[in-house]
Amino acid sequence: MSVGIDLQSSFIELLQGYGLTPGVAKVVWMPLPMVLIVGAVTVLALVSTWLERKVSAAAQQRIGPEYMGPFGLLVPVADVVKLLFKEDIMPAKTDPWLFSLAPLLVFIPIFLSFLIVPFGQNLLISDLNIGIFLWISLSSIAPIGLLMAGYASNNKYSLLGGLRAAAQSISYELPLALAVLAVVMMSNSLSTIDIVNQQSGYGILSWNIWRQPIGFVIFWIAALAECERMPFDLPEAEEELVAGYQTEYSAVKFMLFYAGSYANLVLSALMVAVLYLGGWGFPISVSAIAGWIGISETTPWLQVITASLGIVMMLFKAYLLLFVAILLRWTVPRVRIDQLLDLGWKFLLPVSLANLLLTAGLKLTFPVAFGG
Amino acid sequence: MLKFLKQVTDYTKEAVQSAKYIGQGLAVTFDHMGRRPTTVQYPYEKLIPSERFRGRIHFEFDKCISCEVCVRVCPINLPVVDWEFNKATKKKKLNHYSIDFGVCIFCGNCVEYCPTNCLSMTEEYELATYDRHELNYDNVALGRLPVSVKNSDPMVQPLREFAYLPKGRFDPHDLPAGSRRAGQMPEDLLEGETKA
Repeated sequence: MSVGIDLQSSFIELLQGYGLTPGVAKVVWMPLPMVLIVGAVTVLALVSTWLERKVSAAAQQRIGPEYMGPFGLLVPVADVVKLLFKEDIMPAKTDPWLFSLAPLLVFIPIFLSFLIVPFGQNLLISDLNIGIFLWISLSSIAPIGLLMAGYASNNKYSLLGGLRAAAQSISYELPLALAVLAVVMMSNSLSTIDIVNQQSGYGILSWNIWRQPIGFVIFWIAALAECERMPFDLPEAEEELVAGYQTEYSAVKFMLFYAGSYANLVLSALMVAVLYLGGWGFPISVSAIAGWIGISETTPWLQVITASLGIVMMLFKAYLLLFVAILLRWTVPRVRIDQLLDLGWKFLLPVSLANLLLTAGLKLTFPVAFGG
Repeated sequence: MLKFLKQVTDYTKEAVQSAKYIGQGLAVTFDHMGRRPTTVQYPYEKLIPSERFRGRIHFEFDKCISCEVCVRVCPINLPVVDWEFNKATKKKKLNHYSIDFGVCIFCGNCVEYCPTNCLSMTEEYELATYDRHELNYDNVALGRLPVSVKNSDPMVQPLREFAYLPKGRFDPHDLPAGSRRAGQMPEDLLEGETKA
């Protein structure tokens, strides 16, 4: 496996060339990828809100936003500007601390989870040993924030929405974790980089979706439920609960919830891409193509192309899944709370356990194909 | 053991069936993505109301004989007919007439029953005001010419409604000039009757 571009070491070497100590150079480097990723994630979330509007419109044979910028692309920007300048209302008899803390508690873990999302061999903030596990544990902080928002709002709809959100997140965390566990078992590592590398041997044929079709479906359903997307959007079911836990929120605090939910959707889509669709891998292995044409894999320009292709592939896969999620929104009706919990506990959980068992069995039987 | 297996098979069948139905639904939604939008870009494009459209009511002051039939047939006795008896001519003289379109349901009963046809329906439908009292039209306002979608504003492109499009057309944009709607026109039907 090629090492690819390592921006960090080259940057540090460059700074050392100017006479800085390695420690100082690393400190200078550290904020760069973080700022870049936070900015990129914000843009990705904004783009997904635009996509949501446009795809929804197309599914209903409308046009959607059209006059604000080319194809209505400036609508998300206008949204942000509007929400920034709106009055920050705190209703009477709310708990001011919990009320202000809740959106942060939902927002920060989601953005923190992008720490482990790889866009290339070295294109991630930090390759942690516990990578995917960090994401799962961070995503279980969000329900606390939702519950907090619902409880602090002093509003029955908010409270019901918060309770539903907590119940939903907790019951879908389990199948999600079990589906991830099956993948982890195959790649013998929790690191997202290792998981992608394990799928990179034969292009599209070696992606985990062929070895884990059940896990893929379970993961996607559970991820949609985690994001409170349409078939599972009970916490903010507008016909019954106004807007659930967000009811009393306005301006910047509302924006944190809103951006958080879309960032979470993008994160889940990226995670599906990493776990099941070969991450940044091109459907045909790039190193194989390089081998056919007879170019060395370490050629600088090839490495640049590979890296940018990786980012493009990653985003393409994520947005393809996002598109499916939006299409699902206009296809399936919302489930009832009892159906939701039935699906989570009585269907997804046993099926994911069986999937885990099956993966373990296959790993013992065919160690070549299933990561022995 | 067999019972348990049967339960498992039934459950699997149900799951597969529901997955199939979701797939079918997705196919329908995906198919809709490729279709052209059926919407009209309202302030710049407007549909031409059909000839049976019930819009703002037009009133001709001079035709009115103050019979108050419109008030009697109105579900809520809405029109206000202010008249006095002229002893010299022994006739009713109409002073004021008004209809409050904030309350009117545009049922058209008054138009239907008016003996002198002084009431009529127009195609005007943009009645929005900032104050609901402005919707209370007096006889002057009721007598104004209705605003038409056609030829009233150069910024507005009038579009035909679905029923007025030629056969096989679904999109009112870029119709060839002089294209006729599908089916027979009233005058065709009349001609056919006289021949037969």
